[in-house]
Amino acid sequence: MTVFRGLKAVLFSCAALGALAMPAHAEDTQYDWGKFPGYTLKVKLIGGTQYEKLYTRIAEWEKATGAKVEIVSSKNHFELDREIKQDIASGSITWCVGSNHTSFAPQYGDLYIDLKEVIPETTLAEFVPGTLASSMVDGRLVQLPRVTDVSNLYYQKELYENADNKAKYKAKFGTDLAPPKTFDEFKQQIIFFANPPNLYGTAFAGKDEGMTGRFMEIVRANGGDMFDANWNPTFNSQAGLDALQWFIDIYNAKAVPAGTVNYTWDDIGQAMAAGTLAVDLDWPGWAAFFNDPKSSKIAGKIGLAVAPVGTAGKRGGWSGSHSFSVTKDCDNKPAAVSFVTFLTDYQSEMMEARAGNLPTRTKAFADVVDEFKKDNNTYMADMFATWEQSLADARTPPLVPQWIEVSNVIWPELQAAIVGQKTPKDALDTAAEKAKQIMEDAGVLK
Amino acid sequence: MRFFTSRLSAPFVLLLPAFLIIAAVILIPLIFSLYTSFTAYRLVQPASLWQWVGLRNYIRIFSDVDFWWAFGRTLVFLTVALNLELVLGLCIALLIDKITTGQRVIRTIMMFPMMFSPILVGFQFKYIFNDNVGLINNAIQSLGWTDVTIPWLVNAWTANLAILVAEVWMSTPVFAILLLAGLMAMPRDPVEAAKVDGCNPWQVFRHITLPFLMPFVYIAMAIRSLDVARAYDMVKIMTNGGPAGRTELLWTLIARVGYQDARMGVANAMSYASILLSIYFTYYFFRKLASARASLGSMA
Repeated sequence: MTVFRGLKAVLFSCAALGALAMPAHAEDTQYDWGKFPGYTLKVKLIGGTQYEKLYTRIAEWEKATGAKVEIVSSKNHFELDREIKQDIASGSITWCVGSNHTSFAPQYGDLYIDLKEVIPETTLAEFVPGTLASSMVDGRLVQLPRVTDVSNLYYQKELYENADNKAKYKAKFGTDLAPPKTFDEFKQQIIFFANPPNLYGTAFAGKDEGMTGRFMEIVRANGGDMFDANWNPTFNSQAGLDALQWFIDIYNAKAVPAGTVNYTWDDIGQAMAAGTLAVDLDWPGWAAFFNDPKSSKIAGKIGLAVAPVGTAGKRGGWSGSHSFSVTKDCDNKPAAVSFVTFLTDYQSEMMEARAGNLPTRTKAFADVVDEFKKDNNTYMADMFATWEQSLADARTPPLVPQWIEVSNVIWPELQAAIVGQKTPKDALDTAAEKAKQIMEDAGVLK
Repeated sequence: MRFFTSRLSAPFVLLLPAFLIIAAVILIPLIFSLYTSFTAYRLVQPASLWQWVGLRNYIRIFSDVDFWWAFGRTLVFLTVALNLELVLGLCIALLIDKITTGQRVIRTIMMFPMMFSPILVGFQFKYIFNDNVGLINNAIQSLGWTDVTIPWLVNAWTANLAILVAEVWMSTPVFAILLLAGLMAMPRDPVEAAKVDGCNPWQVFRHITLPFLMPFVYIAMAIRSLDVARAYDMVKIMTNGGPAGRTELLWTLIARVGYQDARMGVANAMSYASILLSIYFTYYFFRKLASARASLGSMA
C-alpha cells in the first residue's frame, strides 16, 4: 500500500510538474508552466492594495497555459479565514488555490495538499530555507511562501540628529542618543521623546493577534516562550511579566497614544506617516509608504534599525509569511500547483520586493538590493539589508491549530493590565488558565 | 385520503408551499443550530458536528463571567440606544412635520445616515473619536479648551458612549421616518377640536398626538430592538469589544468564538441566549403595541 502510494505520488509529481522541474529562475521568461486549455482555475486570494499588484501577472500565466483564473473571493485575510472555515464546515471546497498565512495554516487540517510531493526539490531549494521550514505544518509543506514579515525599527532621523535632544539625553542617561539596541533602551527613548499630543514615543497594536504577537516577541526576547514542550502555557513566567510591564510602563508614561490599545497596523502606520510617532517597530511593507512624500510627512527623514533585544540578549523575531496553498479537493491539481509556483517565481518575487515586501526566494533578496543601489535608492537598499539581518532570528507563532484561539484569550487580558484594570500577574494567570483549558479541550496538552 | 377530498383541505393545500418554504429557510436551520449548541462542533472539524456534549456548552457560558458582562452590556446598550433614538426621532419627526416647504428634501437628507453600511459608520466614528488624529480631540485642542488628549475609545464610559453616539447617529432616522409617517397619517380633527377646547400645545401632544403615535413607536421599537441586539459591525470596527472587554457586546463575543476560534457549538449556545433576549423584547413591544391599539380603539 505504501509502495502504491509512493508510486502514485511520483507519477503524479511527474505528470503534474514535469515542466516545473526546470530551473524556476525568473530571468528565463520561456519557462513552461504546462498547458491547461479551456480550464478555469478557481482561486480565493487575499485582497488589498499591497497584495493585488502581483495579480496583474495572472494574465501572463493564463496566456502561457491556456487556462483562465476565476478569483471567486478577494477579501482581507481575517474575512477570508472566516470564509474558508465556513467552506470547510459546509464541505464545499469547489476552489483550488487559496491565500494562506503561517499563523492561519495550522487551523485548516488536511484542507491543503503537501506541496513537497508535487514541487521539485530544485524549485524548493530556491526559497529561503527558514521561510520554507515555517511553511510546514506537521511536516507537510501546506503553503508556498509569497512574502515574509518581520519587524524592525523605523525612526525619525531628525529627532536623533537634533543637538538639543542629544545633549539632554546624554545629560539624563549618560549615554549617546542612538537607535535603541535593547527593549529597555527603547522604552527609555520613547518616554524621552514623548511630547503628547503632538509627538508620541511610539504606538503598538493593542488588539487581536497584533497585541498577542508583539507580547510574544518580547517574551521570547526576554528568554521565555508561550508554551513549554508539553504545550503548557508558560507566558505567565517572569519573562512574560517583564514583557507585559514594558507595555504598562510606556502606557502609564503616556509615551504612547492612550488609544493604542484599540490600534491595529493601519492606525500605527498612519500615525507614523503623520509624523506623530518618534519610533515605530513595524513591518517591512510600510517602508515605501513612509518614504513616499504623497503619503508621508516623514518621507526622506526615516532611519532604519534592527529590532531591539530583550533581557535575554536576543531578538523575539516574531515572523510569518503570506503564502498560497492548493486544496486537496482541487479538480486540476497540476494547474493549481503551476499557478502557485508561478505566483511565487523569481519574477513575482522581484515584483513584490520592488514594492518593499520581503521576498521568499534567496536570489531575489540580493538582486533587488543591487537594483536599488543602481537606482541610488539607498533607503530601500538599506531597508533590505536591515530586514535581512532580522530574518536570521525570525520565529513564527506556535504552529498549532489552537494559536488564534489562544491569542484571543490573551490579548483582552493584556489590555486589562495595560489600562490598569488588573495586575499583570492576575491578567497573565487568567490568560494562562484559559489557554490551558483550550489546549486541554483540544487534547494537545501532554 | 379522505382529508384531501374534503372541503377543509383547500386552505391547507394552498398554504403548504408557504409552510415548506418557511420550514426550509427558517425552521430547519434553527433546529439544526439548536442541535449544534449541544455538540462540540468546531467549524474546521466537520466530524465534531456529531460529538454530543449535552448541556456542557450552556453550563460553560452560563458560568462564564465574560459572557454575562457582554449580556448585561448588550441589555443596557439596547435600552439606552432605543430610548435615545426614540426621543431624538420623535423630536425630528415633530419638527419636520411642522415644515411646509422643502419637507421632501429634508426627509431625504434625514435618511442619509441609514444608507451607510455599519462598517463605514464604524470607521467614520473610529477616526472621529481617535485620540491621536481624531476630529474631536483636534477640535477641542485647537479651540484651546484643553491640551490633554482624551482617550475616547479607551475609557469604559466614553468608549461605550462613542459606540452609542455612532449607533444613534445611524439609526435615529428609522424612528424619525416611522413616527413622521404616523404624524402624517394622524387625523387633524381631534387636534383642532382640542385647540378649540383650549388645550395648550403640550396637552395636545400629551393626550392626542402621543397616544396616536404609540403603535408606531412600538413597531419601531420592535424592529430596532432586533437590530440593536445584533449590533456587531460598528463595534467590531471601533473597538472590537475592547479594551479589556469594556465594549464587548453579545455578537462581538459570539462572532469571535464562532468564526475566529471556530467553536461554533459554543457560539450557537450563546446565540440562543441572545435570541431569547430578542424574543423577550419583541414579545414585550408587541404586547405594548396591542394595548396601544386597544387604547386607541377605546378613545375612538
